Order: sequence, then structure tokens, then C-alpha cells
Amino acid sequence: MAYIEINTHISVGFNKELEDLKNSVLTMGGLLEQQLNDTLHALKTNNAGLAEKVVINDKEINSMEIQIDEECMRIIARRHPTASDLRLIMTIAKATADIERMGDEIERVAKLISHSNVPDSETLKSSMLNIGEHVLEMLKDTLDAFARLDIMAAQKTYENDESIDAQYKDLLSITILEMQQHSDELENWLEVLWALRSFERIGDRCKNVCEYVIFLVEGSANRDI
Amino acid sequence: MLKLFEHDKLDVNNLSPEQTAIEVKQLNLRFGEKRVLEDINMLIPKNQVTALIGQSGCGKSSLISCFNRMNDLLHGCEVSGQVIISGSDIYHRKQNVATLRTRVGMVFQKPNPFPMSIFENVSYGLKLQGVHERRKLDDAVEQALRETGLWKEVRDRLFESALTLSGGQQQRMVIARALALKPEILLLDEPTSALDPLATLHIEELLNQLKKQHTVIIVTHNMQQAARVSDYTAFIHEGKVIEYSDSDSLFTMPKRKQTESYITGRYG
Repeated sequence: MAYIEINTHISVGFNKELEDLKNSVLTMGGLLEQQLNDTLHALKTNNAGLAEKVVINDKEINSMEIQIDEECMRIIARRHPTASDLRLIMTIAKATADIERMGDEIERVAKLISHSNVPDSETLKSSMLNIGEHVLEMLKDTLDAFARLDIMAAQKTYENDESIDAQYKDLLSITILEMQQHSDELENWLEVLWALRSFERIGDRCKNVCEYVIFLVEGSANRDI
Repeated sequence: MLKLFEHDKLDVNNLSPEQTAIEVKQLNLRFGEKRVLEDINMLIPKNQVTALIGQSGCGKSSLISCFNRMNDLLHGCEVSGQVIISGSDIYHRKQNVATLRTRVGMVFQKPNPFPMSIFENVSYGLKLQGVHERRKLDDAVEQALRETGLWKEVRDRLFESALTLSGGQQQRMVIARALALKPEILLLDEPTSALDPLATLHIEELLNQLKKQHTVIIVTHNMQQAARVSDYTAFIHEGKVIEYSDSDSLFTMPKRKQTESYITGRYG
């Protein structure tokens, strides 16, 4: 395993920059977690206003991605990081891109709720909440693995994506059956399909972040795990 | 939107007098027929680290030497324009050059310890100024050595020869010698080019600490060092300032193509 210590450089300034950079990803991740939480709550309570708030808050996540990107570029230009420092910065640059995309996926689901386009089906709602909760759990585990640079946790979370994929497949079958029964609301049901796809994609992106954590700590691009 | 990172940057073209350590106005320098510096206009910010970068012979060392009139010692040197420090032009005929060099200290490329003890080295400038009271000298030496992070390493061997110190320690001691005179401004001309990478990092970290009390100006041909250590950077080419801005901007998005070519290794 590679040797990772952020706080041991001769330059105190460099220590602080790396620490701040890592914390900024956690701040961004924390906001994303909140966004997903709010979206699920809005879905559960049919709260279009809360969903609208999620859509607006996505701009904050986009702004954070730009800021973190610029900071990565600044640190590379000023500090010429090598080894674990370089891997940390590359990991952060890639992870924030994935977090930003997860934000977009959450925004898509929130838009569906804010436009009150969720078809009136209890089966569908509970299924969506189910996969949503599962994805939220995976997101939390991913951010924890990143915060602690814990490769065991990253590996476990990475493997968890399979169960989300399976859940997604089951949900697709259920949704298609429902669609056949409600052909008059086809447009709304197509939106639901996209929303389900979004949950599944968040799982994939969590998987990416876990892969970056393993790369950062292990020091090798183990892309076949 | 939430701001994740705070980087205070001053506009070097628009500094207030309180923010300015040195104001360079229409500075020209000639050595005989050779024009070394041409119409330099710069505001150097107070309590910051400013780096001068450029190819060998571009005039960066000549420029830094103008800030404490070291060029006066060279034959055929002719200076025009103004260098204003604390409100007065240091090239004014009434300027006392010895006093100026107390306020504007200088450290050179190679550590140049005098062949005497560490204590005598650091207290040398003070003694020249007529300070002989032992207690004052003790305090000044200790404070200067603490500022350079050398105190713990040498406090038990202050009366040993300075020549027994390592290269990195010698350079820090030379900086301490300059600091003992409590200069407002510290000029460093390639201060780490004779040192190993680790000693270099220690000196760089020291500069970052020193800027709290002093304005630091460093000449370096090592662009990476300028990027690491400086808050502001000026790129000099053939005696002219091509670009001068905060180091973040200069090293990530230079405005002039010439600067881009130099810092990306495409020059010449």
C-alpha cells in the first residue's frame, strides 16, 4: 500500500492547501448528500417546493466543481505535486467531476417531482424511494471511504453497485408493466424511467469515486476490480 | 455561492502607499554602453514575497541590486529614475547608503559566512553599527537565529566556527545576519542555488515565515521555486518587465505570450 500523509510537508502552506482541498470535496459531497435526502423527502411527501429548492441548489454544486477544479490547477502550477500528492489532486479533480454529475442526476429526479409529474402509483413511489435510499446509503459510504482513504470500505461500496443495478432492472420490469396499464400518461412514465436511470447512474458514479480512492491509496490503476 | 478557497491577491498595478514597500519609477541602468534595465516601473507589495524570474543576463539580479544600491560598487554603472522606499528616493544625493543597506538587507547565491564564530557572524552588522552591549547582542542574535529556525540547532555551539555548519545552515545563518539588523526589506539573489533540495525547501518555508515581518524579494532562475515561494512574480526579459502579477495568475494564465513561452519552456 502506498504511503499517504497530507500533513507532513516541510511547507506548512502546502499542507494547508491539500487539507483544504480534501475538505472542500467533503463539503461538496455533504451538499450532494443533502440534495439527495431532500429529493427523497420531497418524493415521499409530494413536496414540489422542496424539489424546486433542490433544482436551484444544484447551481451551488456546479460552482463548487469549478472552484475545486481551479484550485487543483493552481496547486499543480504552484507546488508541482508528485507521488501521493499528485494522485490526491488527480483523484479530487476526477471525483468532483463525478460528484457534479451526480448532482445533475439528482436535479433530474427533483424536476420530475417539482413538475408534479410522478404518476399516482404507490408501488412506483415506494420502489423509487427504495432505490433512492439504497443509493443514498452508497453515497454516504463512498464519501466516508474518501474521507478516511479507506480502501476496504471503498472496495465494499464499489461491490454494492451490483445490488443497485439488480434493483434497477427489477424496477424497470415493474415500471414497464405499469406503463402498459397507464398508456394515457406515457410521457410522465417516460420521465419516471429517466429518473430511475438517474438513481442507477449515481450508483455508477459512486463506484467511480471508490475506484479513485483505491487508486489513490494503492498507487496503481486497478481498473478491473 | 459558497466560497471554498480564500486567496488574497493585490493588484500590483494599483497598490496604495500603505501596501507598497518599494516603488520603482522609470528606472534605467547602464553599465558603460550596455543598457541593462529599461524603463522599469513596479510597485512591490509590503510583507509579501515577490520573485523576479527570467533568463540569465536578463537583468533580474541588476534590478534587485538597485534596491540597496549594490550596483554603485560596480565601475561604469549609471542609474536614472527613482526607487522609492518609505517615501524617499534611495538614489537621492542625500541618501546615506550604509543606512539604506541596514534597512534593505541582501543575501547572495553562495553562503558567505565570515571565518569567525556563529555568534560573531550574526552580531557582525550590529557591532559595525556601534552596538557593543553584550545583553543587546545576545538578544539580537537569539532572535535572528530563532527567526531563521536555526536557534535550536546551534544554541549549544554559538562560539564554534560558522564554517562547521552545513551549506543549508550557513545560508540560514547568513539570512539571520541580515535579519539581526531588522531590515524592512530582504533581498535574496538565488539564495538556494548552492543547496540540496531539502535545504532549499527549508529556506523556502523560512521565507514564508519571514514575510510576516519583512518584505521579501527573491531572484531565481528556478521557475518552480518562484511558483512555490512567491506571492507575486515579475518576468523580466532583456532588461524589461514583460509581465508582473500575482503568482497564481502568472503561473496558470499568463497574459503575455512571451511569459507563456518562458514558463512552459518554449523560449529561445
